[in-house]
Amino acid sequence: MEDQGQNDPLFPIAVLIDELKHDDVLLRLNAIHRLSTIALALGAERTRDELIPFLDESVEDEDEVLTALSEELGGFVEYVGGPEYGHVLLSPLENLAAIEEPLVREKAVESLNKICKELSQSQVEDHFIPLTVRLSKADWFTSKISATGLYNVPYSKATPPSQEGLRQQYGQLVHDETPMVRRQAANNLAKFVKEMSPQIVIEEMIPLFQHLAGDDQDSVRLLTVEILISIAEVIPKEQQTSHGTLLTALRSLFEDKSWRVRYMVADRFEKIAKAVDEETVTRDLVPAFVKLLKDTEAEVRTAIAGQIPGFCRLLDRETLLNEIMTSIEDLVSDTSQHVRAALGTQISGLAPILGKEETIAHLLPMFLQMLKDEFPDVRLHIISKLELVNKVIGIELLSQSLLPAIVQLAEDKQWRVRLAIIEYIPLLAGQLGQDFFDDKLSTLCMSWLGDTVFSIREAATKNLKKLTEVFGVGWASNAIIPKVIVMGKHPNYLYRMTTCFAISTLAPAIDLEVIEKSILPMMDKLVSDDIPNIRFNVAKSYTVLIDVLKHLPAHGTIFDLEKSGQTLQPSSAGQHLIQQQILPNLEKLQQDEDVDVRYFATTAAGSVGDAMATSP
Amino acid sequence: MSDLDKAISELRACKIIPEPQVREICHKARELLIEEANVVQVDAPVTICGDIHGQFHDLMELFRVGGDVPDTNYLFMGDFVDRGFYSLESFLLLLCLKVRYPDRITLIRGNHESRQITTVYGFYDECLRKYGSANVWRYCCEVFDYLALGALVLGTSSTLEPSFTDKSQAIEPVDDDVEIEIMNSRNEVTARFPRSRRRLFESDGLNSSPPGTPSKTGPSGTGATSDSGGSHHSGGAVLCVHGGLSPLIDSVDKIRLLDRKQEVPHEGAMCDLLWSDPDEIDSWGLSPRGAGFLFGPEIVKRFNHLNDLSLIARAHQLVMEGFKEMFDSSIVTVWSAPNYCYRCGNVAAILELGEDTSNGGVIARSNGDAGRSAQAFMPNLAPRSGPGRRYRVFEAAPQDPRGMPAKKPVADYFL
Repeated sequence: MEDQGQNDPLFPIAVLIDELKHDDVLLRLNAIHRLSTIALALGAERTRDELIPFLDESVEDEDEVLTALSEELGGFVEYVGGPEYGHVLLSPLENLAAIEEPLVREKAVESLNKICKELSQSQVEDHFIPLTVRLSKADWFTSKISATGLYNVPYSKATPPSQEGLRQQYGQLVHDETPMVRRQAANNLAKFVKEMSPQIVIEEMIPLFQHLAGDDQDSVRLLTVEILISIAEVIPKEQQTSHGTLLTALRSLFEDKSWRVRYMVADRFEKIAKAVDEETVTRDLVPAFVKLLKDTEAEVRTAIAGQIPGFCRLLDRETLLNEIMTSIEDLVSDTSQHVRAALGTQISGLAPILGKEETIAHLLPMFLQMLKDEFPDVRLHIISKLELVNKVIGIELLSQSLLPAIVQLAEDKQWRVRLAIIEYIPLLAGQLGQDFFDDKLSTLCMSWLGDTVFSIREAATKNLKKLTEVFGVGWASNAIIPKVIVMGKHPNYLYRMTTCFAISTLAPAIDLEVIEKSILPMMDKLVSDDIPNIRFNVAKSYTVLIDVLKHLPAHGTIFDLEKSGQTLQPSSAGQHLIQQQILPNLEKLQQDEDVDVRYFATTAAGSVGDAMATSP
Repeated sequence: MSDLDKAISELRACKIIPEPQVREICHKARELLIEEANVVQVDAPVTICGDIHGQFHDLMELFRVGGDVPDTNYLFMGDFVDRGFYSLESFLLLLCLKVRYPDRITLIRGNHESRQITTVYGFYDECLRKYGSANVWRYCCEVFDYLALGALVLGTSSTLEPSFTDKSQAIEPVDDDVEIEIMNSRNEVTARFPRSRRRLFESDGLNSSPPGTPSKTGPSGTGATSDSGGSHHSGGAVLCVHGGLSPLIDSVDKIRLLDRKQEVPHEGAMCDLLWSDPDEIDSWGLSPRGAGFLFGPEIVKRFNHLNDLSLIARAHQLVMEGFKEMFDSSIVTVWSAPNYCYRCGNVAAILELGEDTSNGGVIARSNGDAGRSAQAFMPNLAPRSGPGRRYRVFEAAPQDPRGMPAKKPVADYFL
């Protein structure tokens, strides 16, 4: 502005002010973001008298700049001299709230409301409410849309006469001729209603709601679901029954001819149920729920499937079993895979509500069928939520009835399903016992080591570690280690690598003897593998083994130690093994022709050095 | 953890790294790439991948299926950027991995690794959006100019190692005669093709090195080598380029002579290598793409014969099954962007070439044998026996973890 070059300390500010007018959008944007710096330097008075009027005129800019400006002004009250001057900010924001670009308007409305919260009653009465009214009466719909968002905040601060004026003005917006305005009026009515007393809501807002609920545009009607919830939340439950209009509106929403409206109802079903009184729930909502479960549109059924546990929790068990359960059971064989997938995520949530016996009677058959669903997401959702069912009926029963299905899923075509099953195995193993496990699941676990998908092979090695923790080292050295050794002889390097991974993950769960007798001899062979990738993975495994050997006592495993919390003296045999069997190989690897092998071998050898330094 | 390792883990989480760091990494990458030949030599085993096109989450899926860097060796045949929403993250991750593990990953140039193309197809806009300036785009474009034009995979095995599909027994021996195996991520071998009549041609009087004599006698492709694949187990050399052949290029050596450090030209050999497509035509044809050429089976077979190649692997074209072998398996298209552009519904594939362990680690160099051009017009162009090829087919990553940059999906749905 005019003051540039006036004195040196203000020079940077002068530059910024220049940038506000710069041709480059990026620079203007940058200047807007630092508007507070400018204001701070100018002081409150000059900000009010010079900066704000300047900004007032700068609404002819790129939307990006205007969005930034709208946002900045929201936090500007402190720079214009505190709340008592807050109203000077309203003028530029009023202009911004009339802009065509919705993003700018949204930010302007947001900022206006933010400022309004800091204004006094008289400021609201004198400045803010007139602004709201001006925007509401504007010719162009963009201003009116902004106006709909500017009622609820000033309302709570206004005097009763002004409040009445605001309500009447809002009524005009609800009856506006353009659907764009009516949509926003419907959207904001839900918030506006919450500022009013039940009496006023019943007398004045329910008619507005009815008007919107009867709109010929379904895009308006679907928004009334939220208003209905708000109204029901404001009016005490015991008074609701006396207002038949609400219930009529509710019923007509359930049966709206537009599926988008029904979708909205279905999607908010739990919220509706919580807002209305119990009698309405059992008399109206339960049949409506069943009806939506059978809706002709898959989207509606998907939405309502998502509400199953939430809504059913509000009902008593008898109603659930007698009136709703059969319809839920029908969804298991729904024609839409998305409905089934949504059911899959939610259905386990019914287990705690139903209790053990009913879960066995009703849910288990559904699970079994859904586990065989041809759409992988359905299977995956069921498995990932089994935990809930497990808590209700116990793992024993679950595994007995589901084991065949689980074994089948362990070979599922989708690798993510297989992955989900792998994560379940240790839990199952602990419950089933070693014999049963060896009999039914052991081969499965080993076959995962050779899966075509890397992630499955990786998960399989982690699984083996957990199994070793469950069944003990003795079992591991008989059942696992031989299989792992076989993998090390595989002609494909990607599978030989599984051996290295398995050793690294198993290391904390095996004892000194197994390391000495089985692991290290195998590593000796892999050290001279043709493929560098194997050799540096050997080095990585050595790093883990060294760390384990440094702490390993003569008997037991690292895992045992951690579990018992004991600190036992590390066995000297460990150090011996490091020196005799590992270090020579690492020295060899450090001379390798491949740079990555040398790197990882050096890292591994370095970790030995740490051991020397720390051991007394 | 070094800065580079930190950058890699940031990028793996699909987060961008600071601009100065991008600059540094791009400089390091250039130092590294300038040392590479136009045709990089890659030793088997290696996993060959096609177009990625900024589909970061699908690239992660690729690593989940094929194994991680550095554990698995990878060769990416270009088109890392454009079209997808995460070109930056995808390319920078691959570049960081290249800088961190130069011997474990090879990147060659695709037609989208160019200033002109990236300005139109999304990478430029993405850089501008994510960094607020085009500097990062500029750094990346400088790296593009240094990317190799092709790669030559040596030391492949002609036989496939056993794969694991039988649940009861960990190792299932695969018939020695299996040449191609297709596996999906469902753990199924969907198809196996036996090695056919090729065997008959295999020892067609070519000079083979005496057993036990190492044949590392000269740089590959210079004619200084003598072993032309007489070994029973060698799968021969595989040439990898992004697009295909050029009428100006009749030997791999001609590629080596190009000056590659420039923006991809509108015509000429370098352009063709990145733009051409194979097609069922006689000899050469005009490409509908407006750059490069179409080339027919005879061109490929002659080129492979003259250069002693067993296979050309290329990317560049969407194939719904993830890969497509053409012209009696003399050329294959590999495509690694599942559900291309998030809407094509295709599956993706990567091609694994196994290591040839029969020679005790000595790699048979076998391409570009100079003396052979004299026999170029032999009536019978006997194709070399191809390497054992395992195609791993995979699908797009699940939708959930992929934060599509859509503002409010539900709201959009209703408007």
